[in-house]
Amino acid sequence: MTPNGAAAFALVAVLAAILGDAVGLAAAGLIVAAFAAIETGARSWAALRRAVLVMLPLAAFMLVIWAGIVGRSPSEIAAGVPGSRTAALAYVAGVAARLFVVVLLVQVVTLRFAEGTPFGLIRRLYLPLGAKRVVVVTLSLIETLRQSIDRAHTALIAGGIVTRTLSLRNAANGWLLIQTVWLTAITTVTARLRDKWPVESTLALLDPALDGAERRLAVRDMVWIGLALAALVIAAAR
Amino acid sequence: MLTTPRLIAIALCAALNVAVGSAVYLVKLPVYLDSIGAILCALLLASHRRVAFVCTLISALTSTLVTGVLINPFLPWFVGTDLTIALVSAFVTSRGADTFRARPMEPYRFGGLVLLYGILTGIAAAIVSAPVVAFVFGGVTGSGTALIVGVLLKSGEQLFRATLTSGLVADPIDKTLQVLIAALLFRATPSDFVAMVRGTPARGATGA
Repeated sequence: MTPNGAAAFALVAVLAAILGDAVGLAAAGLIVAAFAAIETGARSWAALRRAVLVMLPLAAFMLVIWAGIVGRSPSEIAAGVPGSRTAALAYVAGVAARLFVVVLLVQVVTLRFAEGTPFGLIRRLYLPLGAKRVVVVTLSLIETLRQSIDRAHTALIAGGIVTRTLSLRNAANGWLLIQTVWLTAITTVTARLRDKWPVESTLALLDPALDGAERRLAVRDMVWIGLALAALVIAAAR
Repeated sequence: MLTTPRLIAIALCAALNVAVGSAVYLVKLPVYLDSIGAILCALLLASHRRVAFVCTLISALTSTLVTGVLINPFLPWFVGTDLTIALVSAFVTSRGADTFRARPMEPYRFGGLVLLYGILTGIAAAIVSAPVVAFVFGGVTGSGTALIVGVLLKSGEQLFRATLTSGLVADPIDKTLQVLIAALLFRATPSDFVAMVRGTPARGATGA
């Protein structure tokens, strides 16, 4: 399967999950489960765990708001009838199930390509070169920012400006940490732009390295996209 | 338009969005703080508003994509909010760039503009986010503002109106905080970096 096919499949399946009623959602859910079992394999368990961890607190919060505080469903509010907690519960179950399918889908599609590097995955995507360049440099700079946080934090602790544990000094000087992180990152990036990258021809080497998009969809892609389209038709028809 | 320093500024601001937004999401603070980088990008390129809009939008979309895949899978639903924040930041907030860098600082003018731009950004973001929050998330996205939605719904308010009202209360506070942090970071950014991004000669007198 190609990353482009997986992205198209995910997009259509998300639409099917969001647009459909219970039957449309069940169709989308079945296709996601099949994709997880066939394409992602054993890594699907990690995807499932992550989706549960993301959705469980949100679903619990929804339950508190809808079943606990509001006590009736949106349709009952719209109709101006007293309503019931059971209807609110059913509403929460529907929204949470829909979001769960979407989160699980994103996870299984992402983990389908977990064996490769992010750079390799971006290289295979059929996107404009400029867009790929921005994403790759962003991922690299996220690491730079993390390192800047470590450096700035250590320096400010050494200088007695902030402390390792919770303290009033941290509250008072927290802004200095943010500013130092930003200035450290700027200094690093400026040095790269002026000295390191020109000497190493980094950006000149980046474009050919990223220019490897897979322009055709594989048969497998077509099958999955076709199945997702079928789910979308079911969702739209109901 | 997309020179190498601007590309780097876009990526750096996107990385800032991801780093701060993810940290806030993971510790479940009652604010988002996920657009500081986008607002900062608009301020860095304030001298060219159309360029600022394009770069801010790319920065916001990139961070939304990266955070959506790596940390918060709900974020990509709010691409419309990204577009709105990019528009307001590039064409409105960027007008305060000179005040934000003025030395010595004019505290009342600085504070007034932060408040004005923050509230404007917040109102625009709330209006665009409300349909997504109401119809995709059923009014509850996991932040503390859902409690306001719950109370309004309990009083008989319709879902969309409750979500919009809650957004109009919470978003201006969040966005004012974001504009404040972005303005302070912009103020602290070295002049030669700003000049490099804008493609103008460095003015040694201003900036940290």
